Amino acid sequence: MLGKLQKNVMEILAGAPHQPLSRYVEWMITVVVLVNCSAVILDSVPEIHAEHKEFFHELEFWSVMFFTVEYVLRVWSLGARFSPEEGGAWKGRKGYIFSAFGLVDFFATMPHYLHMFMPGLDLRILRVLRLLRILKLSKYNTALQDLFQAVYAERRAFGSAAFLLLISTVVSASLMHFAEGHEQPDAFGSIPHAIYWAIVTITSGYGNIEPVTKAGEVIALMTGFLGVCMAAIMTGIVASAFSTQLSRKKSAYLVQLRKVLEDGVVSEAERTTLKHLQTQYRLSDAEVQKMSDEILAAKADKP
Amino acid sequence: MSDASQSSLRQIKRRIFEILEGDVVDSSSRICELFIAGLVVANVVAIILESVHSIHEAYEAYFHVFDLFSVIVFSLEYVLRVWTYSEKHTGPGDSPWQGRKEYVFSVFGLVDFFSTVPFYLQLLFPGADLRVLRMFRLLRIFKLSRYNSAMEDMLEAIKSEWDSFSSAMFLLFISCLLFSSLIYIIEGHDQPEVFPSIPAAMHWFMLTIISGWGNVDPVTYLGTVLVIVTQVLAIALAAILTGVVATAYTAQVQRRESIYEMEVREVLADGVVTEEEKTKLKTLQAKYGMSDEQVDAIANQVNAENSAQQ
Repeated sequence: MLGKLQKNVMEILAGAPHQPLSRYVEWMITVVVLVNCSAVILDSVPEIHAEHKEFFHELEFWSVMFFTVEYVLRVWSLGARFSPEEGGAWKGRKGYIFSAFGLVDFFATMPHYLHMFMPGLDLRILRVLRLLRILKLSKYNTALQDLFQAVYAERRAFGSAAFLLLISTVVSASLMHFAEGHEQPDAFGSIPHAIYWAIVTITSGYGNIEPVTKAGEVIALMTGFLGVCMAAIMTGIVASAFSTQLSRKKSAYLVQLRKVLEDGVVSEAERTTLKHLQTQYRLSDAEVQKMSDEILAAKADKP
Repeated sequence: MSDASQSSLRQIKRRIFEILEGDVVDSSSRICELFIAGLVVANVVAIILESVHSIHEAYEAYFHVFDLFSVIVFSLEYVLRVWTYSEKHTGPGDSPWQGRKEYVFSVFGLVDFFSTVPFYLQLLFPGADLRVLRMFRLLRIFKLSRYNSAMEDMLEAIKSEWDSFSSAMFLLFISCLLFSSLIYIIEGHDQPEVFPSIPAAMHWFMLTIISGWGNVDPVTYLGTVLVIVTQVLAIALAAILTGVVATAYTAQVQRRESIYEMEVREVLADGVVTEEEKTKLKTLQAKYGMSDEQVDAIANQVNAENSAQQ
């Protein structure tokens, strides 16, 4: 009985599609997080803080209660993840507690209790930790995970871009130091100083210090232009990473689809797998329809 | 010299060539690569630190010793490279100087030369301008690109998308001429101190293209319109550049994947994967910098197609 409840709670909190409650839980947590973040932002305005101090205090108390219940439920229910043969209750719990999400859940909630026991704590740290709550949303947002995946898949390209950025920063900073070190010793007297200028110029196109020599002007223009190129390279890599990721997902789905359609019969289990895969890859129905049409057409041609 | 010692010398030369060139991936060439790359990074850090006056004063002797050591290592590297690159072309009719010439006049050869030799010039002519010398020393940072394909990749991308890239540059050039002349004509009278000549107006134009604001506010209505058009042009130009890079990069990834796929197809065609074929695929994967997931996806697809055909 308790074991079954534990399993159900785990599935609801993990957002399993066959648990109707899971969607409501997801929504509730999302709303509480958003309300919390708005409260942190509004609370920093002195007038609003003075007027609604009690309300914010109350809100914080109930939010902490809510997140604590969520955290405790998660830790408790994840005991059902692995059967005793697979490693026991604490394997799943440990997996959650030390995952990125588990740490966020913990640090977004627990410091509040520290504040209760030790009232002298620096409030600013607490506020920053409260903002961590917004990261709880990323659990429900696959876009962020997609982004990380795409970046991870193209990590070599990003490494190359970072290498180019490093070289252009050091080279333009040093050139500027050689060109204007004597004229403007405050700004370009040493290469580390000039590096700051180079980074500002590369990121914003316009340095914090104006060159005074002709050579310095040319170097500044070139550095700014390099900055435009670097932005183009980074954007290009991300765009290409996303489109490659999409085509990779499509081809993975295609392989599955081909397997399913091979014997000419689509069983119930196969249908569920395909549906699941489709939601996971977030392919539209039209795309899926097009793919299966193509395969069926190819099959009809062949025999 | 006897034949035996000559052939053993040849062997040593061949081995050094392999280690320096890094074509054959083994531990010695890896160590050599790491050592040179590490020394280059240390050199760049030293150049940066040396430019800070207080650090320079305190550790001048150390910097000097380090520079001497680096120059000795880099000189040795250069000499060894020139000596052993005769092994590059070993065909029957090839002269040993062909490979050497290629290296000496290649970009890397020139970088290796000019980042090292000025040190000796200083020994000969102690009065040379130190700043020029330091600038040459900075060239050492480009030695790193031998071990990182970023620069090559970028040049290759520009080459493959040359048409769109050159038209973007042409657009930039034409609009630079046109807009700086126009702003000079329109605002030259009203703001003679910022637009005294067309070259000065060109400087304003480039600044606007790069950063969106050219450091000058227009004072006439026509000038304002021109500034706004220039700013829009800047956005368009950035978009074009981004598009070019994205297309080139995607095309490159696809080209590599299809080459790899062809290779996999060939390997899987006879149904047997030998040890040799496996190594070949691994080398190709490393050369193209493909991740394991990518490779698995390709192999799965080829497998699926093969089984569908049977």
